[in-house]
Amino acid sequence: MKHQYKETLLYIENLSVAYDDHVIIKDITLTEKDVVREGVDHTGQVIAFVGRSGRGKSTFFKAITGLVPVKTGKILIKDFEATEPNIAKVVKEGNIGFVDQKYTLFRHKTVQQTLKFALRKTSLTETEKEAKIKEYIEKWGLDTCVDKYPNELSGGQRQRIAIIEQLFSSDQFIVLDEPFSGLDVGNIQEVKKSFELLSSTSDFNTVIFSTHDIELAIELAQTIYVIGYPTINGKKEAYGTIVAKFDLRELGIAWELYGEKHIKLSKDIIHQMMIS
Amino acid sequence: MIKFLTPFEKISKSNKTIILVSWIVLIIAIWFIGTSGTKHLFPSPAQVFSGFTALYNEGLVEHIFNSLKLCFLSIFLAVVISMLLAYTWPIPVLKPISEFITKFRFLPFTGLSFYVALLVHDARNMQVWILVIFLTTFLTTSLIAVIKDIPEEEFDHAKTLKCSRWEVLWQVIILGRIDYVIDVIRQNLAIAWMMLVTVESIVVASGGLGFLIKNSDKFMNHGRIIALQIIILIIGLGLDSGINFLRKAIFRYSKI
Ligand SMILES: Nc1ncnc2c1ncn2[C@@H]1O[C@H](COP(=O)(O)OP(=O)(O)O)[C@@H](O)[C@H]1O
Ligand SMILES: [Mg+2]
Repeated sequence: MKHQYKETLLYIENLSVAYDDHVIIKDITLTEKDVVREGVDHTGQVIAFVGRSGRGKSTFFKAITGLVPVKTGKILIKDFEATEPNIAKVVKEGNIGFVDQKYTLFRHKTVQQTLKFALRKTSLTETEKEAKIKEYIEKWGLDTCVDKYPNELSGGQRQRIAIIEQLFSSDQFIVLDEPFSGLDVGNIQEVKKSFELLSSTSDFNTVIFSTHDIELAIELAQTIYVIGYPTINGKKEAYGTIVAKFDLRELGIAWELYGEKHIKLSKDIIHQMMIS
Repeated sequence: MIKFLTPFEKISKSNKTIILVSWIVLIIAIWFIGTSGTKHLFPSPAQVFSGFTALYNEGLVEHIFNSLKLCFLSIFLAVVISMLLAYTWPIPVLKPISEFITKFRFLPFTGLSFYVALLVHDARNMQVWILVIFLTTFLTTSLIAVIKDIPEEEFDHAKTLKCSRWEVLWQVIILGRIDYVIDVIRQNLAIAWMMLVTVESIVVASGGLGFLIKNSDKFMNHGRIIALQIIILIIGLGLDSGINFLRKAIFRYSKI
């Protein structure tokens, strides 16, 4: 299937983050563009980050969502409010949605109230908001949850609410930190389905996630980044950075069923993880 | 039988009931037998019962009512002040004030009542303000602990939803933990209730359970003292479970 790159959606240059002078991640530079495919209405972007524990994946995610201050570098995203294409803006708290590992929600709000709150800064009218909430509730199979509080929902349901909530409030970017950890087979299928839903809803929807499951990363993502400790001049450094990038579209295996080539890629990725 | 003596051993519900009932029977038996002679330190059941009737005739119900009124009024005032102090605690410039107040809980009771006495002359108001000042130090400490316990993720979550810092304060700390305020009251109720009875016996105003205790001292009436202790204990426990029930009834999401 033919694909084409359009405008840049996410641009990160020379990013580094430190906690009290202790550098956690450094020298991170990447560009992600909008992709369109022939004969497909909407193709969102799915980007995976893999790497061993403690290499700084969560820290990186908190930096791009604006939750921790960056030490150096810049993070730009497409300005969706601008009418002309190719206008970028510096990312701010709230631009990029973030679903953490615990699927945190407001504990004192029902699902309905939660989603209403997420839409509070949009320009929709009350009836439009109600309609939008109803539409998503139905599409994501959450009809029974409308009046429930987070403590009355299952893990999978909480995660889906967290995704919708971030989708409502942010600018088409969603970052999920280890969305598959601790889920059973059924839940994993549900999250996969929600990724597909996100991808097929809008061209600009961009899902960024981290995982320890390499097969899932290959199955879902079109770009896979390995975050690890780099080896510079024969010496292994103690900060995280991008040590390898795999573009499945370039490799010709994106949007395809899992096969021989995918298995080979998985071995390459694991190798990169092991040496970093 | 060995099972009942093994640490961490899981036992069935009916066995638990058997153990509990045996203890109660044992205590009652000891009480009856231990106080059956002519000389005994602890009053006999009959003496305690006559203590109850004596108290009732002295207007026990009214005294209880007075104590409860004082209790609710001072807790209400203390909660309002503590919430103000705790909710401003996240603001850097106001933080020292709240932290300073919490340190006051190490101050002795009597010194404070001396100063309150200088400022407030009416006995009833004196009782109220002594209690309010004391409770505020404890409640503020507990409320700040609740805030400190809020996981980082909850603040981050609010921020990702484009909440301003003030909205974070409102949504995560104030609305998000409103049920904990009730639990904080419950946790401090034992202190409050204990102090209340003491204050009532030091500063004599419109009766109350503390006033009754003071009277018992004078009479050296053991049966009466024990009867009163039992009443104070039962009301305290009743308030505790009442508040807990209230929290669960009002806040469906509250699972502490
Ligand atoms: N708030 C923090 N303060 C100081 N160090 C932190 C903080 N959060 C994470 N770290 C450190 O940053 C490193 C990377 O952590 P993290 O980003 O969670 O990695 P990953 O998600 O890849 O497992 C770890 O060494 C961790 O100890
Ligand atoms: Mg992590």
